[in-house]
Amino acid sequence: MNEDFIHKWISQVKKGTLSFIVLNVLKSGKAYYGYDLINEIKKITEIEIAEGTLYPLMNRLKDEKLILSEWVEQESGIPRKYYSITPEGKNTVTKMEEYWHNLNNSVLKITK
Amino acid sequence: MKLKEIPFNDQSAVRIYKDYLYRIKKEVRGLNQQNQDEILMELNSHIYENLQAHPTGNEVENLLNILEKLGRPEEILKPLVADKKLAEATRTFNPIHVFKALLLNLTNGISYIIFFVLYLFLFGFVFLIGAKIWNPSQVGFFYKPGEVFILGLSKGLANPADELLGNWFIPTMVVSAIALYLIITLLLKLKRTINK
Repeated sequence: MNEDFIHKWISQVKKGTLSFIVLNVLKSGKAYYGYDLINEIKKITEIEIAEGTLYPLMNRLKDEKLILSEWVEQESGIPRKYYSITPEGKNTVTKMEEYWHNLNNSVLKITK
Repeated sequence: MKLKEIPFNDQSAVRIYKDYLYRIKKEVRGLNQQNQDEILMELNSHIYENLQAHPTGNEVENLLNILEKLGRPEEILKPLVADKKLAEATRTFNPIHVFKALLLNLTNGISYIIFFVLYLFLFGFVFLIGAKIWNPSQVGFFYKPGEVFILGLSKGLANPADELLGNWFIPTMVVSAIALYLIITLLLKLKRTINK
């Protein structure tokens, strides 16, 4: 077994699916701030994400108009930046799900 | 909104925290103030919320764990800064911003390398304006069909009589540089729109 290859492959898969995972967490309509979102992903999927990679991704999703962000003041004086999904984001994640299911079926067939 | 620093009891934690903030600030220095503040505040909030979730234990240890998981600012901020710089550059039409954005995005694909080369041409035109003032007789546009085609320094290879633009050389270079600049920036905008 080539552990190095597997390690690289896993990190590529994670990187490639992170936007899909994030949009899926946000699609309920609830707004999350970065740290909260990371915890939610960990809780649901048990996937450990490289935390620092989340913020560039959130910026890209925002640029693509799939999510919105808003600063919310806190009592601590350290505000949180909350992210929520846009209608376009919801439509996009639905399409992504369709593709994901097809891909999953194909992969299951080939790995039998 | 401005950054509010996280209070720590342990002086070592303060030093580690300040050093990390300094490294973030250094990475985002090329962006406009609003983008700099946004990134700094968001990472600061991440550190703060994470600390709040682990109120017990050693402050230094907790902070080091959080920063290790978050990653080195020099690595994690690279894609974010490159994206934001490009967005800033295409909005402002400021040549320095466009140049910096292209440099940051060079690794993002061949198209940016092409843009970069176009940009070098642009600087070439600007350079020639200075060169013409410094060496008026040898710098120009020398053209004689089948023999000479030089835009720049002739180095004695061309007959000064073949210089076609004369006093119009500088105005022509100015117009060319502006036209090329507008084309590059519009192409960049178009590329961003297509990507979306």
